Amino acid sequence: MKKILALLLALVMVLSLAACGSSDTTSTTAAAGETEAAAQSADDIADEMTSSDGKYQIAFVTDVGSLKDKSFNQGTYDGVKLYAAAAGKSYKYYQPANGNEATDDDRYNAMKLAADNGAEVIVCAGFLQATALQKAAEEFTDVKFVFIDGWAMGLPNVAGICFQEEQCGYLAGYAAVMDGYTKLGFSGGGGGTNAACNRYGYGFVQGADAAAKELGVQVEMNYSWLYGSSFSASNELQTMAAGWYQNGTEVIFACGGSMFQSISAAASAEDGKVIGVDVDQSFESPAVITSAMKGIGEAAQQALVAAESEDTWTAFIGDANTTVTLGAADGAVGLPTATWSLEGWTVEDYEAMLAQIADGTLTVDNADVAEPASTDNVTVNIIK
Amino acid sequence: MTFLIQQTLLYAVPLMIVALAGVFAERSGIINLALEGIMIFGAFIGVYFVHAMQAYDVFTSAARSGDWLTLQGLELMAMLASAIMGAVFSLLLSFASINLRADQTIGGTALNLLAPALVLFLIRVLVNQNTLMMSTGDAASWFMLKKSTFGIDKSTDLGFLGETFLNKVYLATYICILIFVVLSVILYKTRFGLRLRSCGENPQAADSLGINVYKMRYAGTTISGALAGMGGFVYALTTANCTANGDVAGFGFLALAVMIFGNWKPLNIAGASLLFGLFKCIAAAYSSIDINGDGVYLLAELGISSHLYRMLPYLVTLAVLAFTSKKSRAPKAEGIPYDKGSR
Repeated sequence: MKKILALLLALVMVLSLAACGSSDTTSTTAAAGETEAAAQSADDIADEMTSSDGKYQIAFVTDVGSLKDKSFNQGTYDGVKLYAAAAGKSYKYYQPANGNEATDDDRYNAMKLAADNGAEVIVCAGFLQATALQKAAEEFTDVKFVFIDGWAMGLPNVAGICFQEEQCGYLAGYAAVMDGYTKLGFSGGGGGTNAACNRYGYGFVQGADAAAKELGVQVEMNYSWLYGSSFSASNELQTMAAGWYQNGTEVIFACGGSMFQSISAAASAEDGKVIGVDVDQSFESPAVITSAMKGIGEAAQQALVAAESEDTWTAFIGDANTTVTLGAADGAVGLPTATWSLEGWTVEDYEAMLAQIADGTLTVDNADVAEPASTDNVTVNIIK
Repeated sequence: MTFLIQQTLLYAVPLMIVALAGVFAERSGIINLALEGIMIFGAFIGVYFVHAMQAYDVFTSAARSGDWLTLQGLELMAMLASAIMGAVFSLLLSFASINLRADQTIGGTALNLLAPALVLFLIRVLVNQNTLMMSTGDAASWFMLKKSTFGIDKSTDLGFLGETFLNKVYLATYICILIFVVLSVILYKTRFGLRLRSCGENPQAADSLGINVYKMRYAGTTISGALAGMGGFVYALTTANCTANGDVAGFGFLALAVMIFGNWKPLNIAGASLLFGLFKCIAAAYSSIDINGDGVYLLAELGISSHLYRMLPYLVTLAVLAFTSKKSRAPKAEGIPYDKGSR
């Protein structure tokens, strides 16, 4: 046994030397340079500002995951920063203590701190904040709360905003299949309990099905909620994604904040493709073919503008029991057209379909399904 | 099969090198429980080094033009930086347990508690995030060696060995294996190695023959710290997409288990970490492992709960430890502070 192992190690050593030997190549990796030119303007605004009076009028409380997740938290905060910079207001972000294991108390404390720091509006991202937000909103009645990915709570100072993620999921699935991919993957966050991610995934399946019917092809889809409960990158997730790519999966919809890091790392290792989520993620990796976007930043901006006076606020949230639902009709969901890289589907066709969804001629089922069933043209292979 | 071997190596190599770090410390008589902490610190240093170096044009343009020699150079420099800082960090343990004769277990635990907190604090200060990432691109596109790196067409078949060991691999993996082999030889076949080991067995006898026990123990823990720091960075680079967040998923503690499991002997350790890496890989990717290449995913089709697969690495460790621990023999003097006066 020892001899075999010694032999193996020696072999590996020799091979590694061989690997160092050949240097006569000038191959090219994918051009990452092109993407650098298009900088986002929200990035130019500092994340932290110091106000002269020590008060911060606009507060942002993050969801799990880091602030700079290049997705949900960052997208929302970009909206907050843009609004604050334009309106000349002071702003600050708060990350609930204990990171991904934050409790309702941690979140409440973050909101209380924000209120104590003089916040007029507190933007809270993520449905996990519901309990803490309700408690804080009942206590600080003169502070307005914007609940992104949330719902109305019957409180006049809470604006619950949710999105029709199934619509952009549908568009992303449709786009991927139209572009010629028949082996898809979906890796979602929240373990199947996050309504937004469930809608994304279900829409993705429906969109893939519609395009597959149109092209008359059969699509296979790996569908998993594994390693996504905290919306963070992990080596297990990376290994799983690498395994998928290795077995022929061509494109994976990375549906959950920092999980994108693991999926895109696996994609660049295995020459696979990725679909981004929430914001246009094509700036991060050349492997991104498109992103299922929702206007989290715009929604935050709209709500913040509405919060400027009582009248506009009432008009915005309607009656306190109605959740503000933003979809294609509000221009709040879609795919990024500026960084369009699909070849099988044109921007014009995309816009026509978006218009159909917006005016209601094309409806996407918005059921909160964690494990979609296979359809005629899409075989959903649930991995658990 | 290729996939299985590659992923197994990715998990096994950091374990192996960090377990060897443990061997060097313990063979010199110092229990290094701080492996986890040093790994975390080393991972941070390496990733920060890469992050900082990415600001220089020479590396970004190298990444763009596919000048892989420069990028591999950056990878090696980052490994070196994390090794040096790992060694410096481990001096805290050496000083406490050699000069001050403090309890080594407690000293190591203190470092384990210190490292994640310190690293998270530094990441917050430096980049205002919870996770330190590369500033552009990802680990695979910067540092991974692929067929395209050497100008070979993607569709060329390199044969089983070529596909497995030359395509989609990291240089760091092989460097670690090389270091592992060299250091194992040093430990067993050189005068320095013999002296080091004697200090872990009977330091009084070693001292009576003119060996400076303090020096030897410093050497042992410093090598240990360097290896653990480098192992931490290699772990972050190859399995965590070159990110640091004050966590290495317990790999330092696993390495301790592997060390005991491997009976403080390098070859056994290599075997043990390969075994553990294999099961870790099965746990994460069992559903897409095609063992003999016939398109049948046996492990997925067995219908066993995925939870069982995820428990496997730990169950196997428990089982093997239960069977082998009778024979396992720790260095005799480990954990006992050396006191010249006591005979």
